[in-house]
Amino acid sequence: MDALCKPILRLDGVSKRFGGVVAADSTTFSVFPGRVHGLIGPNGAGKSTLMNLISGIYTPDSGTIYFDERDIGKVPSHDRARMGIGRTFQTPRFLQRSNIRDNLLLGADLGSGYGYAASYFGKKVTGFEAYLERLLAIAGFSFAWEDDISSLPYGQRKLLEIVRSLLSNPRVMLVDEPAAGLNNREIENAMALLDFAAKEKNIGILLIEHSMDMIMNICKDIVVINFGKVIAAGNPAEIQSNEDVIVAYLGRNLDA
Amino acid sequence: MLQGLTILTQPIIFMQLTINGVAMGMIYALMAMGLILLIRAIGVMNFAQGELLMLGAFITWGLTYQVKLPLPLMIPAAMLCFALVGVIFMFLVYWPLRNNSYPTATVISTMGAAMAIREIATITWGSLPLVAAPLVKGVLRVGNMRIVQYQYLLTIVIGAILIFLVFMLFEKLYAGRIMQAAAQDKYAAELLGIPTILTTAATYIIVVTLASVGGFMIAPVFLVNVTLGSLQLRAFAGVVTGGFGSVKGAILGSLIIGLVESYSSAFTTTYKDAVVFLVLIVVLLFRPQGIFGELIADKA
Amino acid sequence: MSEKNNSNQKIIVDLKDTSISAISIFKIVAITAAFIAFAVYTPKFTNAYSMMILNISLINFIAALGLSVMLGMGGQLSFAAVSFMGTGAYFVANLTNGRLGVAWEPVPVLVGAVLFSAVFAYICGSILFRLSGTYFTFATIGLVQVTWSVYLNYRPLCGGPDGVSGIPVIRFFGMSPRDYHDWFYVLLIFVLLAGFLVERIRRTRLGRSLASVRDNEIAAQTLGVNIYKTKVIAFTVAGALSGLAGGLYAMHNQFISSDIFTFDMATTYVIMAMLGGVNNTVGVFVGALLVTMLPEWLRPIQRYLKLTYGVGIIFLMIFMPMGLAGLGNMILKKFFRRKKGQKETLLTDEDETGGEV
Repeated sequence: MDALCKPILRLDGVSKRFGGVVAADSTTFSVFPGRVHGLIGPNGAGKSTLMNLISGIYTPDSGTIYFDERDIGKVPSHDRARMGIGRTFQTPRFLQRSNIRDNLLLGADLGSGYGYAASYFGKKVTGFEAYLERLLAIAGFSFAWEDDISSLPYGQRKLLEIVRSLLSNPRVMLVDEPAAGLNNREIENAMALLDFAAKEKNIGILLIEHSMDMIMNICKDIVVINFGKVIAAGNPAEIQSNEDVIVAYLGRNLDA
Repeated sequence: MLQGLTILTQPIIFMQLTINGVAMGMIYALMAMGLILLIRAIGVMNFAQGELLMLGAFITWGLTYQVKLPLPLMIPAAMLCFALVGVIFMFLVYWPLRNNSYPTATVISTMGAAMAIREIATITWGSLPLVAAPLVKGVLRVGNMRIVQYQYLLTIVIGAILIFLVFMLFEKLYAGRIMQAAAQDKYAAELLGIPTILTTAATYIIVVTLASVGGFMIAPVFLVNVTLGSLQLRAFAGVVTGGFGSVKGAILGSLIIGLVESYSSAFTTTYKDAVVFLVLIVVLLFRPQGIFGELIADKA
Repeated sequence: MSEKNNSNQKIIVDLKDTSISAISIFKIVAITAAFIAFAVYTPKFTNAYSMMILNISLINFIAALGLSVMLGMGGQLSFAAVSFMGTGAYFVANLTNGRLGVAWEPVPVLVGAVLFSAVFAYICGSILFRLSGTYFTFATIGLVQVTWSVYLNYRPLCGGPDGVSGIPVIRFFGMSPRDYHDWFYVLLIFVLLAGFLVERIRRTRLGRSLASVRDNEIAAQTLGVNIYKTKVIAFTVAGALSGLAGGLYAMHNQFISSDIFTFDMATTYVIMAMLGGVNNTVGVFVGALLVTMLPEWLRPIQRYLKLTYGVGIIFLMIFMPMGLAGLGNMILKKFFRRKKGQKETLLTDEDETGGEV
């Protein structure tokens, strides 16, 4: 890893248990600006829990989460978003009763940082449409402003959630299984979006994904967790040859 | 204030107010329990709970004084009516709305139902208060001091029995467990072959019966009239005071509300309502999860 | 999901859909025309008594508009409208009729009433929104009971059961409405003002944030929306609108008493908002008009009026939960949309679940 570059997000010994289930077990890793970090592991390994811990939906039992070298343990979820922690979900979360414009403007609102009063008295988000057009060119689809969000196919909604997050100008994006439910073409577009975010916008991306193609293609660093514990970390080549990872995924030791 | 305290510290008056408070608390608890059961089973607040209590009072009055049934016959007949009301209520106010994507719609429809029930009662029985004789006549005395009407004591006993029965149903009986399962996850329950229409109907019947028995017990004390419906606000207060989603909390909360209401009458009669709800707001201020509740976080 | 593949070739963003903006234009024209017709023709065919009821319905609209902000935009069911109508009404009554030794100019007092109600609503909201969902709704009922009890019993400020009378009518630059017909136009100005102020909310960050609180709290949080603060602000706005309505009511009727600030009245406001369409300003207007006027029109069936009403509400919720406005919108969309073969995809239930732990 780049020694010169400071991590934008750092987890230090973060633990979380739900009753008897250990969802995160003193997890430690860092996310750097401009890089895509893969977070992989079997189902139920605690990947989404980590994202929920980072975005403040859960509070860790112990350990510290640093954003830009600042402890954000006491910062409420919405303030973390304002600090620049963007997030997408396994199933996209939109406002079902609002049209696409309002859904996207919510992202832009966050990016603009205007308060309710400023917005009410006429402050508008500048450069929003140009940026959106650029993003949609990468995402590879279009829509009518005033359409309901439900008129978009599932795959496009997932892409649009990444677009919405980008509109908020985040510094870190937590992207949860963007490829699930997408066709090949849409997966390519999703990768292009993430690539754009990392390279052009210098955003640090933490990516949960089951599609190994996507992970190995796009991630420079990969963290593998199982039962809440980090079992391996490194570049794709290292991960692919890591014994523990193979065991975790196949459930038994091949040598035995 | 001081005067109120001196009144309250007289043992006889204190005892009277306590028994009154517990009895009223029991009535509120019967409604509050129903509210919680419905919130659990269908996730919706019932704003017709007080009207169901009122309807119960009218039905039992009608069966006793209009149909002139003796008590042993009146009780099963009334039970039958309560069940019928429960089923009708469910099929009119909840069933068509169960797949509605606007949760508020169901709440509003219960408000509509409240209005309709009130009017049906007015049209059927008139708007003048009706007198119902207490089940047990007479007054409990200590020496030659009148403490309290026996009806209050009976209310406490009957309330306690019903509460016990509901707990037995849900804790011990298979049917109760099925109802709980169905309440927690309708879809999974359907997959397991639990007929959720029946479990929901059963819930409604229980809820209506609880409230109606409350109406029956309270009728001799308050007279039978349409304003009985406003008692539901106390049950709401009980639910919130006690804690969220817990039947035990709702019962204890209702008893607290009953006692607070009763004791506050030593201090003020005009602001009795206000005192009850001020208590509620103070509780919310310091323990937003209710006195006995745990804060339920609805997170991802 | 894959049938859309071909249309993916088009990359230019179609930010303006002509068929949809045709709807918007049609709506604006139709609503403006209907409103002008309403303003011009209604007074000509209405006697003084009906005019008074009509004016009340305009005032009710302003109060119900607060509910539209709370429930329609933010998804929070509140009964507290009557509490803040009361603060507005008694504020105006006490400071203009001279019973406390002051008889100030009505308009500044009205402004004061709005501010006072807003501050009171802000304080109440800050407390009540420690609760969420149904429990918040409960708590607003509690608030209604407390305020009603005070309005009914507290003689020094609220006149007790007798109410407060002798409230002077509103006065602009020395001019006062002489009769209910004049009042009609005065109230129309306030209706327009309130309507536009609320419509503006919908188009700005507050409106969008409220929608996110209503539809998906998790999404709201991750989009930087402070849910608690947003709800409290909406409650404050609703309180200000109710305060305005209350102040106007006091000046219009020149008499107020506690029986218009009861829980029953509170439910009536909810019904007004729901009947017309809770998330639609024009809908709320129609709802307020219908609910207030209906008892007058249905005098012949007085005895069964409330029963019809109650049953009507149930059926309304079953068949059109978004009220008349929802129905209207649906018809308009069907009428205008030459659908481009786009299928509605099924909504997936993604509210509370949907994330692995």
